[in-house]
Amino acid sequence: MRPDRRVGRFVEDLLRNRRPRRFRATPEELDAMRAAAELRSARLGADLPDPVFVDRLGRRLREELSGEPRDRSLTRRRLLVGAGTAAAAAVAGGAAGIAGDRALAGAGSRELVPGGATWQPVLAAAAVAPGRAVRFSTDAVEGFVVNRDGQYRAYSATCTHLGCLLHEAAGGRLACPCHRTTFGLDGSVLEHELPQAPAPLPWLHTRVRDGQVEVLTV
Amino acid sequence: MSAPDPAPPARLRVVAGDSYANWESVYADNVVAVYRLVFRQVGNRPDAEDLAEEVFLAALPRLKLPAPVASVRSYLGATARTVVADHWRRHYAAPPPAPLPEDVTVAMPEPAAGDGGRATRLLARLPERFRQILELRFLRGLSVRQAAAEMGVTAGNARVLQHRALRRAAELSEDGE
Repeated sequence: MRPDRRVGRFVEDLLRNRRPRRFRATPEELDAMRAAAELRSARLGADLPDPVFVDRLGRRLREELSGEPRDRSLTRRRLLVGAGTAAAAAVAGGAAGIAGDRALAGAGSRELVPGGATWQPVLAAAAVAPGRAVRFSTDAVEGFVVNRDGQYRAYSATCTHLGCLLHEAAGGRLACPCHRTTFGLDGSVLEHELPQAPAPLPWLHTRVRDGQVEVLTV
Repeated sequence: MSAPDPAPPARLRVVAGDSYANWESVYADNVVAVYRLVFRQVGNRPDAEDLAEEVFLAALPRLKLPAPVASVRSYLGATARTVVADHWRRHYAAPPPAPLPEDVTVAMPEPAAGDGGRATRLLARLPERFRQILELRFLRGLSVRQAAAEMGVTAGNARVLQHRALRRAAELSEDGE
């Protein structure tokens, strides 16, 4: 489909306040789409929330935050899945999410090799400059590919504390938005403000084939 | 577009240097700002509602309250940035954003500004035909066909014009204000 067609369809959806169809956009399409998103707020009041939504979310938060303490990992997992964040942190299936990360960390292993794993390409090696970390997603894993002097290794992108998604920060660090924990590009904990240092980031078996970084995952 | 501000915001409860005592006050004081911040970057209600919800569900349980207003806001802004970037990356294959410098915080929109200011100023900076097609569509809500009729061009031309106008708007937007 021509780029102006795909962007055109995206704009139609925005103007009708519909959730737009998802697709792999080119950088040029992305620019136009982001501009369209921004222009949607030009209409007075278009970017104000529906009071019904504000009320409903307030009640939902009260349930989540004021209720009985529940199994945190289950709650967190439901939040992630329900909110569409990036559910499974590491291992696929079952009680993945941070439960998986924690179990692994607790067992003293930092290596993630889910059963039935295969090599899956996640990024072009050229997309990861030395000293940088680039995000990738598979069905089972949210991760970063890190390039340390030409050595590629994939790490979980999920903070080992409570499962928040990390982002790349300046100075070769992976930062957690939740509690200011930062990890180095080798997965080690650099800074934290927690009573106890969280576990280092789990990593995945990683290789480069035909210019593609591949990770061993389900 | 200059319209009078809506009713005085409830933000008067909080003064600079003050703290939030509980999550209810964090939510009440910031839900509009977070929603607007997110909406401006996705442009549709269903996604904006999901992402705003995601921001609060991720952020609120992790706040140690009482906490200063400024630090709570910058934390909400940072969470929103991550959540929105992840949305674009997952659904439209957008590259990850450049890392945010340590000393830069995400500015939160004023909850009650309601002026559509940034977008309106962006429109004003576009060449005539580009501005016209985008105003007909985004401000007046006309269909491509109606907008084409208004401009005296074919619907096909209007579509191409719209696409080129958005590309130009993107360039201007990147240059900043």
